[in-house]
Amino acid sequence: MARVTLEKVQKRFGEVVVIPDLDLVVDDKEFVVLVGPSGCGKTTTLRIVAGLEEASAGTVRIGERDVTQIRPGQRNCSMVFQNYALYPHMTVRQNIGYGMKVRGEPKDEIERRIHDAARILGIGEYLERRPKQLSGGQRQRVAIGRAIVRNPDVFLFDEPLSNLDAKLRIEMRTEIKRLQRRLENTVIYVTHDQTEAMTMADRVAVMNKGVIEQLADPISLYERPANVFVAGFIGSPSMNFMPAELVGENGGLAVKLEDGTALPVPGDRQTRYGGSVGKPLTLGLRPEHMSGGQNGPAVATLTPEAVEPLGAHTLIVGHAASTKITAQVDAHYACAPDEPTPITFDMNNMHLFDQQSGAAL
Amino acid sequence: MRYEAKKDCGRGAGGKGCMREPIKYVFIWPAFLVVLIIALFPLIYSLVASFQAFRLVPPRPPRYIGFENYGNLITAARFWGAVINTATIVFIAVALQYIIGFAVAVALHAKVPGERLFRVTFLIPMLMSPIAISLIMRMIFNSTIGPVDDLLTFFGLPNLPFLTNPTWAKGVLITVEVWQWTPFVILLILAGLQTLPRDIYEAAEIESATPWQQFWGITFPMLLPISAAVIFIRIIESFKVMDTVFVLTGGGPGTSTETLTLFAYQEGFKKFNIGQTSALSFLFLITVIVFGVVYLALLRPYLERSR
Repeated sequence: MARVTLEKVQKRFGEVVVIPDLDLVVDDKEFVVLVGPSGCGKTTTLRIVAGLEEASAGTVRIGERDVTQIRPGQRNCSMVFQNYALYPHMTVRQNIGYGMKVRGEPKDEIERRIHDAARILGIGEYLERRPKQLSGGQRQRVAIGRAIVRNPDVFLFDEPLSNLDAKLRIEMRTEIKRLQRRLENTVIYVTHDQTEAMTMADRVAVMNKGVIEQLADPISLYERPANVFVAGFIGSPSMNFMPAELVGENGGLAVKLEDGTALPVPGDRQTRYGGSVGKPLTLGLRPEHMSGGQNGPAVATLTPEAVEPLGAHTLIVGHAASTKITAQVDAHYACAPDEPTPITFDMNNMHLFDQQSGAAL
Repeated sequence: MRYEAKKDCGRGAGGKGCMREPIKYVFIWPAFLVVLIIALFPLIYSLVASFQAFRLVPPRPPRYIGFENYGNLITAARFWGAVINTATIVFIAVALQYIIGFAVAVALHAKVPGERLFRVTFLIPMLMSPIAISLIMRMIFNSTIGPVDDLLTFFGLPNLPFLTNPTWAKGVLITVEVWQWTPFVILLILAGLQTLPRDIYEAAEIESATPWQQFWGITFPMLLPISAAVIFIRIIESFKVMDTVFVLTGGGPGTSTETLTLFAYQEGFKKFNIGQTSALSFLFLITVIVFGVVYLALLRPYLERSR
């Protein structure tokens, strides 16, 4: 049982508070991804779990064990680093076996586990090579091999794919996910790439300024973001945000944009938003929830500045109601820069946020 | 033709076109002449002199005597004494410099309090003139007025013949060499330590490697190339030790601390026996080259592993 629990964990560097107060529970065999922009404290959190950083306050538990004051080697965690952190003077075999060797495990056991790891990761033919003789992907496999031979309670990954090219990154993320299913370990994975987070995680923790803004499964994050930050961080291209106000119109509610465009709120949401009439709000709508032309009741006029055909669909970047937005339209939708075009908003997928707190309504 | 020559150069096809341009000699010869005059001429001149009976005092016309100078040296007990003295001082001093230097560098790298002050302080001996240091050391280790023997007297211990007993004198020479040149090792090893990536130590820490295991498993092997270079430079430099020995013991008592360079100095500038001195210099050069080749050949497999 290797549940990881962080209770009221704080991290300060002198006067600078990097993590104000963090609570996180990662269940046994769960794959949790910490995602967020640079400097949000995700790597620091991971390093606190690993023991490479000492928590300024709070408790870290792995299973039932309080490991807050225990040194890294005794926490039974394995870590895969961004720059692989392979020992350059050792062969792949020595790299993978180093940990077992320093822990004084028997030679034949070391050899057996090196071969198991090499077989799982397909690096058997490179065992006698040195890291510099390997490609980025192979090095990352060796780093993962070094992590799995230990049979750890928890795997910690610190942006392991950020040094790989796009194609290899996609391959490796599938491989890591498959490996986790096979080994059934608890994984905490740090990345700044939201696609990586969404595709790999059982649950994603979106972090900002040392605080977990939302911890949820990928689909919930996408469909029900807790606040403006999460809504803007998850999804690509990012969600569009427009200042708006809720008004009563024709016996129902409508979202009124700054230029006066009124977008009717669907019937099933009327009760939910009833109490927010008149308040300054932010309307959030993803580009993929817009369509070119007049296909529904909620239509705004978009003045395109750039039209970006991507093959499967086209992105129109422009201004609507004096706000910059991106709309994803059909690949064959006819439009040109500076020629205003009607865009239909799918209000069933809209999000409304309190303009002051940023929280979702 | 001109066009063809240019084309050949551009293609880099063995540079045949360039080779045919005679103008290149005009540019090459001045540099070649400078090298010839500054480096090669004295070398060739002394090589020729080493095969001659060539004395300045009393002046006699040089006479070709083949390998006689070399033969005389190789059969002379004083020469072998100087070889043994030099080797003893060099190997013990460099070994101590390396061990102490490495230890101090690792300590300074660990960011101990006041580490910056230590860094500067430790470098001072290297920056001082060996003659000045030797003069001070001669006073410090003097048997009658030296503070070291004063200290021994204070504790009721007998005075030690630091500069008058062959073994103690060698010990003093080694001590002075170590004191002066350990900072060089510290400087280079510290520079090497600073290039080592931090994350591999973190990986080792997560693997439960103790600091001792991290040192022998990571730090030491990764600094092997720089260690090899440091030791090589120090050995070559130490072979040339002259000023310290000259001032501290003058090669004495007798010739018991005489090094090869001091022996060459005595032969060349006291006896003005140019032929013999030249032969000695060449034997010295051969020794250093042989040592260097063997040293690098022995280390090669280890260095390749660390590269």
